[in-house]
Amino acid sequence: MSVPFRILLFAVLALWCAGIFIEWFVGIHENFLFALPFLQKSYSLVCHQEHSKLIFFEHGVTLTCARCTGIYSGMLFISFLALFGIVKKRPEIKFLFIAAAPMAADVILYSLNVYRYSKTAAFITGLLLGSAGFLYLYAGLKNLIAELKK
Amino acid sequence: MKKYLSSLVAGFGAGVLQVVPFLRSFSCCMIVPIAAFVSLLLNQRATNEKEKITTKRALMFGITTGLYAALFGTFFEIFITFITKHNDIIATFPELQRMVDGFPVTPEIKKEVLNLFQNVRNEILSTGFSVLYTFSVLVNNFIINTIFGAVGGLVGAQIINNRLNNRTN
Repeated sequence: MSVPFRILLFAVLALWCAGIFIEWFVGIHENFLFALPFLQKSYSLVCHQEHSKLIFFEHGVTLTCARCTGIYSGMLFISFLALFGIVKKRPEIKFLFIAAAPMAADVILYSLNVYRYSKTAAFITGLLLGSAGFLYLYAGLKNLIAELKK
Repeated sequence: MKKYLSSLVAGFGAGVLQVVPFLRSFSCCMIVPIAAFVSLLLNQRATNEKEKITTKRALMFGITTGLYAALFGTFFEIFITFITKHNDIIATFPELQRMVDGFPVTPEIKKEVLNLFQNVRNEILSTGFSVLYTFSVLVNNFIINTIFGAVGGLVGAQIINNRLNNRTN
């Protein structure tokens, strides 16, 4: 994938992740407060936004739960690495399922009350899936560009 | 239309999951991408195709699924709001007030933001409809569901093609 595409992909993901932390940006510029309710609605489409599962920081909370924040952060991190050409080829599909397994196990185990919900565990398992998931999205985009060039 | 029937089915399911109050608590970022993947699987079953799916085609299925999810999601949300004269804006308004009060911004900005949402809230409480709310739901649903559907299509195609590869080997 060409450098401009990689930059565009990273920029889109960075913008999406920045939106999750909009409450922090309100501290920087007060006009961001107007965007807050609108963004809350946007992120509610992709996350249940259960208050007890959000990540708290100075001046506010994230707009997505710890797990979703982890997923998007993982994607952003790998997209950053992709900027430098580190991401070369797509791993086997089974790697995606292996990366999803800790998240699935975490959801099942805390739902069965084997242990209490942990934001750290949710974030880390999300991060793992997001990082792995990005590799397949990246490969898909590469395939698409190649197909369109034919 | 018939070509994208599987997208219609999966998109409808995703749209419902995003809106219906109880089911909504299960809502997560995977719903629309999974719906796009399901639409690819359904299409493959319906057409009995054994060939690999092109990324371009998978993307189209993903986008169409996202669009259907947005269409149904928007319709249900606006319809439920119209009938019940209640939605998440009304339910979370007291929380929004507390939250806005807690931000380190000038009282004028706080007042402006709250007035804006107070107007939307009043419109919904009295008529069940607000232009601003409808516009925001429409824009949100169409942009986000389309993007997430496209992602689901791109990743889903690789999973399906990999499975086909394993069968032929």
